[in-house]
Amino acid sequence: MTTVRRAAAVAEAATIILEGRITAYTAAPIWRAALETLQRNPNHPIRVDAARLEYVDDTGIALLFDLKRRERQQGAEVRIENLAPNLAALVEGYNPSDFAQAYQRPPSAGIAEHIGRATAQMIADTKDIIAFLGECTAAIGHTVRRPRSIRWREVVAVATEAGANAVPIVLLIGFLMGVIIAFQTALVAQKFGAVLFVVNGVGIAMLRELGPLMTAIVFAGRTGAAFAAQIGTQKVNEEVNAIVTFGLDPVRFLVLPRLLAAAVALPLLAVLADMIGVFGGALVMLSFGVSFLQYYHQLLTAVGASDFILGLVKATVFGLLIGGIGCQRGLGTGAGAAAVGRSATSTVVTSIVWVVVLDGLFAVLISRWNF
Amino acid sequence: MGYGQRVLLEGASFDVQRGEILVILGGSGSGKSTLMKNMIGLYRPQAGDVLIDGQSLVTARAEARALLQRKLGVMYQSGALFGSLTTLENVRFPLDEFTDIALPQKNLTARMLLRQVEMGHAEALMPAELSGGMLKRAGIARAMALGADILMLDEPSAGLDPITAANLDRTILLLRANLGFTFVVVTHELTSIFTIADRAIMLDPRSRRIIAEGKPAELRDNSSDQRVRQFFNRQPDAIVQKVEA
Repeated sequence: MTTVRRAAAVAEAATIILEGRITAYTAAPIWRAALETLQRNPNHPIRVDAARLEYVDDTGIALLFDLKRRERQQGAEVRIENLAPNLAALVEGYNPSDFAQAYQRPPSAGIAEHIGRATAQMIADTKDIIAFLGECTAAIGHTVRRPRSIRWREVVAVATEAGANAVPIVLLIGFLMGVIIAFQTALVAQKFGAVLFVVNGVGIAMLRELGPLMTAIVFAGRTGAAFAAQIGTQKVNEEVNAIVTFGLDPVRFLVLPRLLAAAVALPLLAVLADMIGVFGGALVMLSFGVSFLQYYHQLLTAVGASDFILGLVKATVFGLLIGGIGCQRGLGTGAGAAAVGRSATSTVVTSIVWVVVLDGLFAVLISRWNF
Repeated sequence: MGYGQRVLLEGASFDVQRGEILVILGGSGSGKSTLMKNMIGLYRPQAGDVLIDGQSLVTARAEARALLQRKLGVMYQSGALFGSLTTLENVRFPLDEFTDIALPQKNLTARMLLRQVEMGHAEALMPAELSGGMLKRAGIARAMALGADILMLDEPSAGLDPITAANLDRTILLLRANLGFTFVVVTHELTSIFTIADRAIMLDPRSRRIIAEGKPAELRDNSSDQRVRQFFNRQPDAIVQKVEA
């Protein structure tokens, strides 16, 4: 063990005495004191006495070099004395002119450049999405003609991960949605003596809107991001290149199983969300004097098969959308770990935006067709 | 040493002298990198100890352990530079985190470190713009930034062209000569082993033991162990069987 003595720089007139150990951990005050001494004595020669210096690391060498390289008036130079020959050789090994220019980080882009880059990126993204849709359509066509070409085992594995493993969170969210809607609307309906009609609201809201919508949002955050991260990592690790060089189609190999799994898993999850949401509503309605039997009969008068089917159709479309966006962002991942993170984030944001937009479109179409 | 119930290496004991370049060698899957990760405290050995200047890294409490780990500088296989920082900022990163040195002085120190590994020209480049050899050299500069006594290098010349690998070997020798670093280098690159190693230990995945220790040239020429000779003479398994037959 070596005893560490605190190094010190003591300014005595124009002399700096360095002693002890100068390392990255001890250099800061010594460096500051030494530079202050140089500043205070612009016209005097500076003598740096290193006789009692025990040890320096790279930071210590940088300190010595920094003192020596300072441009000073003639006759006021810095002179380092009694420095061990091996350390002196190291300090002499650097050329001050190499460090004359201060380090500058590469300039970051201005607003105009940001806008330009973002626009170019949007155009490129749009092209990619169109190309991706084309590739998916072709791959689906190929699969319809030759169903055995799809990797069904992968479809089941992805559907299990995306569907079965998501059941707890979907049940929790669905249940809370049912409870919240029932409670909030019942408080208002109670004033008008229309508590029983809350059941209509809960049933229609859960089956037609909130069941598919909330499940899709959970699915986007959980599964869409996972698709993007998985395929993105495969892209970064050149696994996608390996697939291409084997003559395989990455869309058929990686994307289709996920699309199919998403299109199956999301409607099933939405059905669970519908059921648990309606059940949550029933529990709340008990406290407003509506029994389970009353709730059940009122529910049957309020909702029909069309509401249920509409919810299923929406959930299937949302599943395809989220799966597609996740896979497309994954395949478009750039280089490095940060790019994978960006793809996952972009998937969640884009999916949620498009799910809400499509939900709005569904609402408009349904009102026109009176479905 | 191993993972869970799986033992990769047992009964291994060796020391590293100050100022020495020790090479840990062995075939793929023999546990070289895992051994290094045990030595730097990333993994905890299933049994035994790692001593640095006589102090246990395994049993030390968090604070003492952190102090011991300061004596180690580590370069990982890929360089492990942070992708959002420039090369210089990567090298400066430990100084930013652990010292109060003013920014211009930290920049100067980082630039000098980069020059030591012949990377002065790449200080403003992002890691994504660096080649494999440049990433590794920048990784060495970052490992040196806090004045570590011992530099641990994981596969420094793997995947590099011969010239870049030779430059890296020269950098290691220069750093040892000029600054007295102790090196522990994990590699199976024969040329590098003969160029830089003072001493080598060889791991064997089948027996899960250290099967050889000594100067590389002596191991190659005089070892009585067929596995050691096979390794140093780069012989495939089939040829060894044929020769034995």
